[in-house]
Amino acid sequence: MSINVNKFLIYLSGFVLLSLYFLLTIFILPSEFLMTEQLIPEPYFQSTLSDSQINLGDSFRLDIVSINNGDYADIHIVSVAFPDLFEIDDVVKIATYDFSLSPSYISIGDEIGSTYSGGIETTFAQYPSIEAMSRPLKSDVETHLDVIVTPKTSGIFNIYVKSIGIPHTSDVSHYPYSGILDHQNEHVLVYSVTVNP
Amino acid sequence: MIISPSKFCKTFLKSRSEIIFLLGSILTSFGILLVTVGGSWDITNHLLSKPETFFSPPHALMYSGVAISLLGVITCFIGWNNLQKFKNSYFLSFKIKLIGIGLLTGAGPLDFLWHSYFGLDGLLSPPHFTLITGMFLCSIGGMIGISRYLKFNNCSPTVKYLLVLAIIPVWLSTSGIISSLSLPFSSTDFFEFNPEPTIAFVIASLAYPFLISLSLTLIFRLSNYQFGIMSILGGLFLLIYSSTAIVPNFAMFDTIQFYSLNLIPFIIADIFLKINKSKLSQFFVGGLLGSVFYMVYYPYVMYTYNEVLLGKLVSPSLIYFVYFELIQSVLIYTLIPASAMGILGIIISVKLSKKILMI
Repeated sequence: MSINVNKFLIYLSGFVLLSLYFLLTIFILPSEFLMTEQLIPEPYFQSTLSDSQINLGDSFRLDIVSINNGDYADIHIVSVAFPDLFEIDDVVKIATYDFSLSPSYISIGDEIGSTYSGGIETTFAQYPSIEAMSRPLKSDVETHLDVIVTPKTSGIFNIYVKSIGIPHTSDVSHYPYSGILDHQNEHVLVYSVTVNP
Repeated sequence: MIISPSKFCKTFLKSRSEIIFLLGSILTSFGILLVTVGGSWDITNHLLSKPETFFSPPHALMYSGVAISLLGVITCFIGWNNLQKFKNSYFLSFKIKLIGIGLLTGAGPLDFLWHSYFGLDGLLSPPHFTLITGMFLCSIGGMIGISRYLKFNNCSPTVKYLLVLAIIPVWLSTSGIISSLSLPFSSTDFFEFNPEPTIAFVIASLAYPFLISLSLTLIFRLSNYQFGIMSILGGLFLLIYSSTAIVPNFAMFDTIQFYSLNLIPFIIADIFLKINKSKLSQFFVGGLLGSVFYMVYYPYVMYTYNEVLLGKLVSPSLIYFVYFELIQSVLIYTLIPASAMGILGIIISVKLSKKILMI
């Protein structure tokens, strides 16, 4: 009789513990964790052009210092695009680079992410660009990308620069926040140099 | 009378051949355990994109594991070759280990060639699958060797805890096979080896529950129903998985408390089977063990379900958000099939344990 009572008590305790387990793992803890604040990276950059005008055959330099002013970023991207070029070829050379991953060169026609979706939405590149990436990037850490450009034709030479933090959890997870939209439907700052014949 | 060294050596080997074979099996299983732990850690490092060289700690662990397994198989050969009894009974274990170590060591050069031609590969690629299959076979061979030794020598309950070392590499390497076939980590510039999302969904929902139930109830049977052994095996699995997949990602560190709760169903299963071994009790335990697979395989199993149910971008700091967002939907879809697979696992464990122990 007492053995049966003991067994009953063990079963009862077991079922109570199991109910508690399922309650905690399926309902209580998930809602607790989902209520915690998501990380918000805030990328920012400052760029300096060495010249606003050059003669054909000469070079100019664009120095970019980017920083993550927000929370820890899984990925910190700085993209430099060249809307007046068909290919990067030997027109653009990287002079300084301290991002944690090697730069990736994007050519016309490559499938690329768009609208800050991190690759969920895609489009095709209409002009070449260089993407610099650090994975991850802690708060307040600076990264540098300097390029030397030697245009092959005269006229206005434009460069689009932008920075994106992933997870892209807020409107401040990209920089610039507004302005001209590029082929990825993402905001860019435009830097122009006049190339005299 | 003077005994020559070679004769002494032969006599020693013959008298200790069975224990040498056991030692070889233990080394093989331990080596594979290191490879699987290193592999899981390496996957986490890749997901976190931690800068790594060839001489990273996970790689060191994996290659040490391969070396120890190789040493184990050589030791097994020495032991088996000198066996006076049970030579046929241990042959299966030795044969499986031999094929396994062949695949395991062959996967290295194959991987090098693959990298040379196609650059970085994903989780599923011909060299990686060769490696995981080799790990699986070595661990199976080790498990059979250890289990049969314990059975033939009627070992004490304390020694039977060696079965934990025999089963855990099988559980982890089989998990590796299932993960390769279900996680979307295998897309590269040259090849698209990612499994079709719906097929991956089905594989994960059926195979993981089956494996949890089979591993835990198999050790229970092989140990002749030793109380506590299921909890130790389950606890060790959780410890390994949490220290290689959760702890290295600082964003997930707080979720350790959630993950550690998974010890509860393992302990309950242990207690229920201790006090009642009826079919109903066994089916309940099988169903229970199958039903908790989504929690036990936290966090990476989420990637499989995200592909079909949400399609969200998951960066390392968002892993647990997406995981918890999915948990209720996944359980609605998988609870019944997962429980059924858990019950199937317990049924198969009866037959498998009889074959292993030659009953």
